[in-house]
Amino acid sequence: MAKNALDLAHIFVEFSGNKVLSDVHASIPEGGLTVFVGPNGAGKTTLLLCIMGEVPYRGEIRFHPDIRGYIGYVPQNLQTQTYTPITCAEFLGMSFSRRPLWLGMSKAGRAAVARVLGRVGMEHAEKRCISELSGGEMRRILLAAALLRSPRLLLLDEPAAGVDMRGERLFWDILDDLRTREKITIVMVSHNLSLTAHYASHVICVSRGRCMEGTPHAILTAQNLMTIFGIPIHLYPDQCALSHDLCPMCGAFSMGSDVPSETAVCDCKPPSVRN
Amino acid sequence: MGLLCLYVTMIDVLCSAIGLIPIDCLQHQFMQQALLGLLLLVPMTAVLGVEVVHFRMAFFSDAIGHSAFAGVALGLILSLDPRFTMLAFGLLVGLGIIALQRRSNISSDLAIGVVFSAVVAFGLLVVSRTPGTARNMQQFLFGDILTIGPDELRFLLCLLPMVFLVQLFGFNALLSVALNPVMARAHGIHVAFWQYLFSALLAAVVIFSVWAVGVLLVTALLIVPAACARNISRSLRGMFWWSIALSMFSAFLGLVLSAQPWLSSATGATIIVINCLFFVLSTLSGRCLKGRRA
Repeated sequence: MAKNALDLAHIFVEFSGNKVLSDVHASIPEGGLTVFVGPNGAGKTTLLLCIMGEVPYRGEIRFHPDIRGYIGYVPQNLQTQTYTPITCAEFLGMSFSRRPLWLGMSKAGRAAVARVLGRVGMEHAEKRCISELSGGEMRRILLAAALLRSPRLLLLDEPAAGVDMRGERLFWDILDDLRTREKITIVMVSHNLSLTAHYASHVICVSRGRCMEGTPHAILTAQNLMTIFGIPIHLYPDQCALSHDLCPMCGAFSMGSDVPSETAVCDCKPPSVRN
Repeated sequence: MGLLCLYVTMIDVLCSAIGLIPIDCLQHQFMQQALLGLLLLVPMTAVLGVEVVHFRMAFFSDAIGHSAFAGVALGLILSLDPRFTMLAFGLLVGLGIIALQRRSNISSDLAIGVVFSAVVAFGLLVVSRTPGTARNMQQFLFGDILTIGPDELRFLLCLLPMVFLVQLFGFNALLSVALNPVMARAHGIHVAFWQYLFSALLAAVVIFSVWAVGVLLVTALLIVPAACARNISRSLRGMFWWSIALSMFSAFLGLVLSAQPWLSSATGATIIVINCLFFVLSTLSGRCLKGRRA
């Protein structure tokens, strides 16, 4: 039986009398990519912050002994000004180097930075200022900062918010690579349901303070998504009405419709966008 | 006692060394002490300024500076040395603002604004009820580095190593907290400890800066050199060293120029004007560099 990286039991969170989370139970499998989905204000980020100990809660969060003390966090963004003369190498050095940055980085520090930049596909960004990075590049640098501490559990709060499709796809690719190659347990908040359906191994759906969990195919059903978001969303072809050429709910071509075969059933793996 | 003697000797030696500079005005002892005071003070304001810019705490340092006004008023009421009450009140205000920010849900600007108004109003209230104190207050409004004495120099000699040690062990942590406190905590940094320590240190340096340039210009002494350095640097390391170099050069130039008979201006104001000129130049040169890169 697969181990759980952490278990959440009877989690209650209230802010000024407003119930944000109410009796939430969930488990996060070790080595998986778990995604918190749900509408805005559902309590996804609050749940993530509970795991980090940033928000006071009632209930119990049990960490697997191997995980405790090895938690990495990737925020949405940094609180920087329009122009901040901090190079990517300095920003990454900040997270692990004991030597003050005004004395410069040690040779070992520079080597560690170069290695981690390679892991997130940002090999040439060492001397670039963080304020000059695009949204997608910034998210990868934030991920690199978290990776420098060799985490076993990686928590990400909407890491690809505001990033274009290509950048978001690349980011998920990197996360998937980390999960499969380095066995890092990843927990993230995301609004991108199609990429969640494609990459996630486990989904925790938070809505109205409660949650349900399971595999993406079991949780992200048309019926559940209609209940949660109030709009028709069909993520899987088998969720569309087969009696029509076009699904009357989401407008997608059904599996048996008379359309070019490459459109109707596409089982090709999208080309990697990493360069 | 031994440490005190060491400090006295150090001050004498450093003042004598300044006397060797072939500039007429620096042959007077009060000018040597003033320059020594500035050269001990401005590296601290410069490095803390780099952090103030990243923490977006300019308004915070302004509030601390204005608390000096209330601190002096408190000294007058309690018949205590205003230098002591100024420092104690400044520390209290600095730590109080951080505690308010951390423990309540009011925004940072609002917390600082409320405390800022309270301390200024309190100072004015006391001054208005005590005739003859308004003149004493002028020194705190405009500052006078030329009146700095051996006691203040000794205090600066104690403060400088403390600031240096915090920068040595806490520079990376402080910047990390400034960029994202939640991420910093996840990286194992004790955010509250560094926030309180930085505020206390900043309060001590700001209160002392009030002596040099006055309440009205204290924020400028902190942020203008850092802002200049930000314009011309491509790295944090560069910003740190440029900030120190520019602030020391401005302090030296400001003191010497203000003592010239053809200028005869207030030293603090002259230093800040020179800093601001550097800021204009750095902004222009920064734009030129960006244009070339583009």
